[in-house]
Amino acid sequence: MDVGSGSSAPVTVLLVEDDEVIRKTVAMALERYGYRMSVAGDGLTGLESYREQRHDLLLLDVMLPVLDGIGLCRKVREWSQVPILMMSARGDGLDVVAGLEAGADDYVVKPVDTSVLVARMRSLLRRAAFRPASGNPPEPAPGAASDLVFGDLTIDPGGLEVRRAGEPVALAPTELRLLLAFAANPGIVLDRRTLLRDVWDYGWDGDSRVVDLCVQRLRKKIGAERIETVRGFGYKLRR
Amino acid sequence: MNQGRSQAYVAMQEDVATYLSTGVAPDSYTPQQIPPVLIEQVDRSGGFTTWYDDRRPDSPWMWAAQPVDGRVLFVQIDMGTAMRSLQALDRHVVEASLAVLAVVVPLAALAAELPNRRLRRVARTARRIADGDLDARAMRGGRRGRDGDEITEISVAVDAMAGALQERLLSEQRFTADVAHELRTPLMGLVTSTELLPAGEATELVRDRVRALRSLVEDLLEITRIDAGVEQADLASVPLDQVVEESVHRTEVRARLTVTGAPVAYTDPRRLNRIIANLVINAHRHGRPPVEVTVSGTTIVVRDHGPGFPEALLVDGPQRFRTGAAERGRGHGLGLTIASGHARVIGGRLTFGNAPDGGAIARLHLPAGDRT
Repeated sequence: MDVGSGSSAPVTVLLVEDDEVIRKTVAMALERYGYRMSVAGDGLTGLESYREQRHDLLLLDVMLPVLDGIGLCRKVREWSQVPILMMSARGDGLDVVAGLEAGADDYVVKPVDTSVLVARMRSLLRRAAFRPASGNPPEPAPGAASDLVFGDLTIDPGGLEVRRAGEPVALAPTELRLLLAFAANPGIVLDRRTLLRDVWDYGWDGDSRVVDLCVQRLRKKIGAERIETVRGFGYKLRR
Repeated sequence: MNQGRSQAYVAMQEDVATYLSTGVAPDSYTPQQIPPVLIEQVDRSGGFTTWYDDRRPDSPWMWAAQPVDGRVLFVQIDMGTAMRSLQALDRHVVEASLAVLAVVVPLAALAAELPNRRLRRVARTARRIADGDLDARAMRGGRRGRDGDEITEISVAVDAMAGALQERLLSEQRFTADVAHELRTPLMGLVTSTELLPAGEATELVRDRVRALRSLVEDLLEITRIDAGVEQADLASVPLDQVVEESVHRTEVRARLTVTGAPVAYTDPRRLNRIIANLVINAHRHGRPPVEVTVSGTTIVVRDHGPGFPEALLVDGPQRFRTGAAERGRGHGLGLTIASGHARVIGGRLTFGNAPDGGAIARLHLPAGDRT
């Protein structure tokens, strides 16, 4: 029942949820899957908890007292690129869009089966594991890969570093994976379904808003003109 | 012409007076110059007579003749100047009229065009509202009630209608979202709690009821969203074989899938997923196996070999909470209602029928997509 993040320390997860039953049961269920759980009942407590302990993944409810999940997400994103998964009970509403705009990597709609939640978390942690900062990148390949250049954008696929006009760009795990997916197919239009499958591990039931909003966030960081929208098809990275 | 005649008469009287007083005829016309017609006329009338000479149209003359004391006096008046000034007058009248028309017609057209254009904008706005663009307004910002005429009134009324409609949709949307939140939050607690229960017969019963409650809540929320008209399709060209196969596979119902060719539909795969899942589960629950799913072109057919759809469903279409017939077993009648709703949202057509040799047939027609 282990998470599969190697053998050493278990993955730490911070769950911020105001409903006591959900908070307790989800924490218990995820502990059974081998995660080390911390919980918080409101956004501000959650923010403090994350500042102190720097968990590996944040699981945020949208509607929270004091500071809501979207505000919390925005605050965390000011200085951290930790993987963030939002949980919304409204799902179809603006919650999802607001959460993704604030920098969440993905969302689930309540009620969610623990197995589905764990699958989303694993996919997200895989994306984050690409990052050398989080421990062991899957293929270190030192010096093997040369930098990819797109205009003023430089991507080092080995060290997973992105620079814009020489300045390092801080990308959330999903944003980085998305950029790498584009960089691997320079000048080729990638449609939303392909991106949902390759970056988010979704089947046909993936929500394409996830892609659109992540592209929006990526554009803000690397320059809007770098990613071209091809109407009715998808997106491509411009040289 | 009359002017020429009176001019000739006056000149003639002068000549007659001169002739009578001096005995010398003031005219000096040679007989060749005198038109023979005039001589004939004066012979016939025996008094003052005139003849209009237009033998040369560009320089017409008015001739007059009068017998005086045994001889005939002749006078010739040049009508060319008069004619030319008349022609000039004519020309001026025409030019002036044209000038007036040139000014008046565009002005009139413009004056009519402005209200027409405003009316057209109102019509355009109404059409956009009907097409679902509730941000459309007939009055542009700041141009409120310019002259308080009827068109302004119509525009204000259309805008008020759009505003009321938008407000109602938004509150509907908010209400749906709030209901969803209020229902799903305790349900989530229930779902995860039951997952933690130790395995056993009682646990299985609880889990089964939680599953039923969960699917009922989700179905009701889905119907509310569809009814609120806030659903928007996320359309793309998708390979039908893959989507249908995945959808059928996920229902965990044993179904035979047949696909001819490599059809591509322009559709929303998530909604299509829901439609197919609902049709297959419905066939499995209310019909008898084998459940067959056939994809040919962009038409998807789901059929079973049970008692078929009840008559009421074939006539009225699916109605919520009405399964129609006892032999079709239990169910909420929501699955087919949802399937129909999603079909409408993605621009498809879902029809229901029964096979002649028994069994229900649901047919979904989808718009074709581009092969990429």
